[in-house]
Amino acid sequence: MSFPENRRRLLGAAGALAVLGLAGCAGPGVLIRDTPPAGLPRKVELSATPFYPREDDHCGPAALAMALGASGFALDPEALAGLVFLPGRQGSLQIEMLAGARRAGALAVEIPGTQEALMRETAAGHPVVVLLNLGLSWAPSWHYAVVIGYDLDEAAFLLRSGPMERQVLPFRTFDATWARSERWAFVALPAGQLAATASEAQTTRALVAFEKAAPPASAVRAYQTGLTRWPDAVTLALGLGNSLYKAGDLRGAEAAFREAARRHDSAAAWNNLASVLLELNRLAEARDAATRAVALGGPTLNAARETLRQVEAGR
Amino acid sequence: MKRLKQTLAALLIVSTTHVGFVQTAQATMVGTEQLAQAQQGEASRAGDAARAHLNEMFTRADVQARLEKLGVNAADARDRVASLTDEDAARLAGQIDQAPAGGIIEVILFVFFVLLVTDILGFTKVFPFTRSIR
Repeated sequence: MSFPENRRRLLGAAGALAVLGLAGCAGPGVLIRDTPPAGLPRKVELSATPFYPREDDHCGPAALAMALGASGFALDPEALAGLVFLPGRQGSLQIEMLAGARRAGALAVEIPGTQEALMRETAAGHPVVVLLNLGLSWAPSWHYAVVIGYDLDEAAFLLRSGPMERQVLPFRTFDATWARSERWAFVALPAGQLAATASEAQTTRALVAFEKAAPPASAVRAYQTGLTRWPDAVTLALGLGNSLYKAGDLRGAEAAFREAARRHDSAAAWNNLASVLLELNRLAEARDAATRAVALGGPTLNAARETLRQVEAGR
Repeated sequence: MKRLKQTLAALLIVSTTHVGFVQTAQATMVGTEQLAQAQQGEASRAGDAARAHLNEMFTRADVQARLEKLGVNAADARDRVASLTDEDAARLAGQIDQAPAGGIIEVILFVFFVLLVTDILGFTKVFPFTRSIR
């Protein structure tokens, strides 16, 4: 286009006003093209990401299959439809997309809703599932797509989207369609990997949910990885102990709970340590730990009292 | 129906004795999810745990029934509800009919021209063939 810059802007604004009236359109936002985040390559394209073209309302299962495939979980969209597709809504819900990824064996982590996060994740080798509203707030076209990279020189994200194997979507257009989903995005990773950009809270939520669905050994690995990045996270420390316990590794669980109890003086950790020691028939130590858990009180007080009672009964 | 409710109530009373703990013959363990919720300030009083668990059971039954109503077969619906965290089950119960369901690309003719123009302006991206002016 050869319009001068200001003329083009004016034209765009006028057109938008005339056509949209009061429809809440996203502004251009920060132009990431002008100030690209530091330490990133000019271009990333995860071209090994599988592609499952869909023209219909099954973009949810298809997007999930592509992201999972890139992480080594080979599942076709048909199999995933039973996990995430909701016929009565002719689509898939966000919560179920995350749950579906977990049921397929992956750690599903929501990531921050920034273009920089998308760039950093793809640069780390993680395709990102995004929810876009391709239409308008009052005429929505909700659509799941997979961001497989970006090109700073073209000022565009690269996506696997619906029937398109390689959609080149300008940053500005991408952001306008993404903003309407409150910039929702997640990555689906094998246990032992962490999202490059997710916060401690986002990762903790993902790990706790993962523990519910995953084989205990995978949960152990996932928590260990989380603890290497956030060694002070009490929930992760307890999760590691619980997963070791579920995996049948009582000694390992004991060590994990002892470390969590020592480090955080957490009632839950003391209680679980007492329970494991009781199973190991080390009653004196179990009694000390349970007493400490009761003394600390808090929301786990009932469990702690019950543990102490069991220890007393076991003497 | 009354019989069903009574049976359900009895079942819930029995099951709430297990309030959120991973119980085995010997150990009373505090689950990670329970701690995470406590960290977030949910169910912060010990006495609330039983009530929260009761709500939780109803929430899950509700979500499962609504999934089935929306065309998911019974076995899939059961598994899908089981795979949700407590927090997600509660969120889904509140949103299942309104939350964005990614998948539908349904453009009625009236909207077609609007979207065509907005596509060209780069505000939307409904049509693969449009090229935004920037």
